[in-house]
Amino acid sequence: MSVTPWRRGNVPGSKIALKLTGEVAGKILKKAKNPVIIVGAEALKTKVGEELLIDYVIKIANLAKIPIVATANTLSAFLERNLKPALSMGSIEITDRLRDPEWSLDGSMPHEIAVYVGITYQLQSQLLSCLKIFAPHIKTIALDRYYHPNATWSFQNLSEENWIENLNVLVETLT
Amino acid sequence: MAEKGPLKISVKSLKSSGLSLEDVEMAIGRVAIEEEWEPMGPTPMPKIATLREWDMRLLNRYKPFYMPFCDLCCLCTYGKCDLSGGRRGACGIDIAAQQGRMVLLTWVIGAAAHTSHARHLLDHLIEKYGEDWPIDLGKEIHVEMPVTRLVTGIKPRTLGDLAYTLNYVEEQIIQTLSATHTGQEGSYLDFESKNLHVGMLDHVGMEVADVAQVVTYGFPKGDPDAPLTEIGMGIADLTKPIIFCIGHNVSSGVEIVDFMRRYGFGRPGEQIEVLGLCCTALDITRYDNQAKIVGPISHQLRFIRSGAADVLVISEQCIHTMVVKEAQRTKTPVIAASDKACYGLPDMTDKPVEEIVDTLVSGRQPGVLILDMEKVGAVAVLTAQKMAPVRKKFKTLPDDKNKNELAEHCINCGECRRICPIDLPIDEAVFAAKHGNFDKLTELYDKCLGCTSCESECPTDIPIHSLMVSAAESKVKTERHKIRIGRGPILDTEIREVGSPIVLGEIPGVIAYVGCANYPEGGRDVTIMAEEFLKRRYIVTASGCSAMSIALYRNEEGKSLYEEYKGYFDAGGLVNVGSCVANPHISGAAIKIASLFGKRKLRANYEEIADYVLNRVGACGVVWGAMSQKAASIASGYNRLGIPVILGPQGAKYRRLYLGRKEDRGCFEVFDARTGDKNWIGPAPEHLIYVAETREEAMVMTAKLCIRPNDTTKGRMIKLTHYTDLYKKFYGKLPEDLHLFVRTEADVPITIKGEIMEYLKDGGWKPWEVPTIDPTLLERLVRVKKKEE
Repeated sequence: MSVTPWRRGNVPGSKIALKLTGEVAGKILKKAKNPVIIVGAEALKTKVGEELLIDYVIKIANLAKIPIVATANTLSAFLERNLKPALSMGSIEITDRLRDPEWSLDGSMPHEIAVYVGITYQLQSQLLSCLKIFAPHIKTIALDRYYHPNATWSFQNLSEENWIENLNVLVETLT
Repeated sequence: MAEKGPLKISVKSLKSSGLSLEDVEMAIGRVAIEEEWEPMGPTPMPKIATLREWDMRLLNRYKPFYMPFCDLCCLCTYGKCDLSGGRRGACGIDIAAQQGRMVLLTWVIGAAAHTSHARHLLDHLIEKYGEDWPIDLGKEIHVEMPVTRLVTGIKPRTLGDLAYTLNYVEEQIIQTLSATHTGQEGSYLDFESKNLHVGMLDHVGMEVADVAQVVTYGFPKGDPDAPLTEIGMGIADLTKPIIFCIGHNVSSGVEIVDFMRRYGFGRPGEQIEVLGLCCTALDITRYDNQAKIVGPISHQLRFIRSGAADVLVISEQCIHTMVVKEAQRTKTPVIAASDKACYGLPDMTDKPVEEIVDTLVSGRQPGVLILDMEKVGAVAVLTAQKMAPVRKKFKTLPDDKNKNELAEHCINCGECRRICPIDLPIDEAVFAAKHGNFDKLTELYDKCLGCTSCESECPTDIPIHSLMVSAAESKVKTERHKIRIGRGPILDTEIREVGSPIVLGEIPGVIAYVGCANYPEGGRDVTIMAEEFLKRRYIVTASGCSAMSIALYRNEEGKSLYEEYKGYFDAGGLVNVGSCVANPHISGAAIKIASLFGKRKLRANYEEIADYVLNRVGACGVVWGAMSQKAASIASGYNRLGIPVILGPQGAKYRRLYLGRKEDRGCFEVFDARTGDKNWIGPAPEHLIYVAETREEAMVMTAKLCIRPNDTTKGRMIKLTHYTDLYKKFYGKLPEDLHLFVRTEADVPITIKGEIMEYLKDGGWKPWEVPTIDPTLLERLVRVKKKEE
């Protein structure tokens, strides 16, 4: 069955995201050499069951030992949770750096996987488009509930229950 | 050079063999009259490539950042061509150049809309007032039309001069548009240079439009105390006939008011209500402040559906294209007043007024096209008068009983949310309403764009938008606020007062809230942002839908910001310049600072003035609800002049930004005009056009983008006080890039000096060797030759 973008009109062209499951996401992140998670401000108000998405993201980042980039004003929420992200930067600014094959958070090897989560849908879609087209060295994962055709891998449009289930499987896979 | 003309020759009587002329008037072209108001600068009426070098300097620092909306090109029959994965189209174009090309198309549409608006308006005004009508902006404005003077070198004296100026703009828009044809431009950087060119042209076109209407219609000429008027869904007196004007061109609205005054209907609101929406509303209230503003574009369909309007007059731009069908639902006749927006309606321009009115009142046609503005005025007033008594029953918002019935049909499929341009949780709200809870729908009222896409997608045909407005009925009825009418240009005297503190940094910045109402979470964000910076004593300016949105929320004291803050162009002033086409009064203020305070030559001296603005004038535009092509070209015009712009998240769909990288020191090196040395000046301003994800990010970035290399230590300290304070407030700590802006200890905000110095020293910060310079990107402005030379 084909997957339609969450925003129906958001049809980007010939190259669209592969369908992601929690298990596949876990395996990719486990295997990744230098992944990074980009966390947007929607993570501060989106619920995953009883938790906020930001707390779930912290869980995933800790398990997979992935550095976090906090976009917009998410930094303060991380600091309140006693977690200092690797970087605080605008979602546009970090995406600009990631398209550069020479750039990485610690200056070592370039990031080959970037996980995007919690950035408002339309903006995140455009950011993923930038990397899809201009950063062949990096693959992207969209962890939100909605299908992002511009990612390399994205969850389908999921019900809240299915989304939580997939995130739980992702956590289990990383554990 | 001022232009006069055409040259007119009147012949009373001429007789010769085979020729007999009587009462003949001939017009011969235009006559150029040299008026050396200032020596001609280097770039009068620049063509596409004239300012290319300046653009490349900007683009070297602020590199284009593309986010393709689509990986394909479908502009010619070679295609569709897939440009993903490094592929090129059959014509050879790559995806970066294709983005630049699509951006250029978009920007040209925007500039063309403003310029054609200017042409339509100007032709009408010349016909009415004559081409010799003077450009007189009053005693306190001697430098009229700074954008036009800067770009073209012309000092317009009359409406006729404005027509000549528009000729140049129109010709250049066509030239740049032609570059998008297959097999023309192939470099993304050159596409971007053309984008900046079009943006600059757009500001000239807009300036012509606004100044023409200010000088002829008697709009306020920069009056800081321009009166307040009413705005909101609840402003209409439903007992009176109501004329509702939508769009951007004020000429039809002015003719309505004139007809009423002339034929005993009094001023707006006395016998007949004259209401407007979008920029035409702002401009009608500049003509007569007893006219009222319904609101920004989001209020369009909800007001039509309320059934309040007895006649609807549409001019041009930002009209919902379902307008005629929507108006038919409440038996509201439509008058289309522009050939750019005919809506399939019959052209009755040449018919007598009585016949047109009868056509509309009888309902034989849902609307008519009238291309004679005076006739529009007469028909609108007479139709409203006749329609009002027979339309009283057309109240279409569902009552409580209906609301429940309609919500019953929700099957919770979620399709309404998927079609919503800003991803509002409509599905949850309607489903909650099905179970008797309308609170979520009421909450959506302030955030909704009013596009009604959700209704077209609903499989059970729930009129979701009407349901939402109905749920918010009490809010709608009491939506009644105050807005200061558009004051137009900034006075020369104001510029002389604030020039120094702005350039030295002591007024921390000039912020312009401009553009559309495609807000991610409603217009309240603009009010909140504006209030934050007003309290911090920035100069806050506004235009268009943003100027309206600012008025729609009350502060803790129950006042709108326009009631709370003065309309002066000064620290802590809130300046509504007017409609979209009034934007050049803001860019013009930056130009006048360079000219009047900085003593830079103004005439056709674009590069030097833009260099001055970029390095010295701490101004920043915020287009939080960016939607239209016009908003995009407005932003581009600010950019070429060296003014950075922040877009809301929807602005990412413009698909291109100009980003600096603060760690790239070479890009932020400039000449010291005193010595000729190249010096790093820190990332000031860091970006030229940027998208912020949240209101909080936008506020922090706004404060940062007002920092300029020319700031004095006192000025830098003030700017850093606001930047660090906002950063701490929203991000919870000191900014990580603070060391890039603190040149010496004297720059450090005094209130938290200890904390900052400790933070800086921990990071290895040291005072800069050359903390202050006379910054310029233009080597030719270096005043002192180096010794070896």
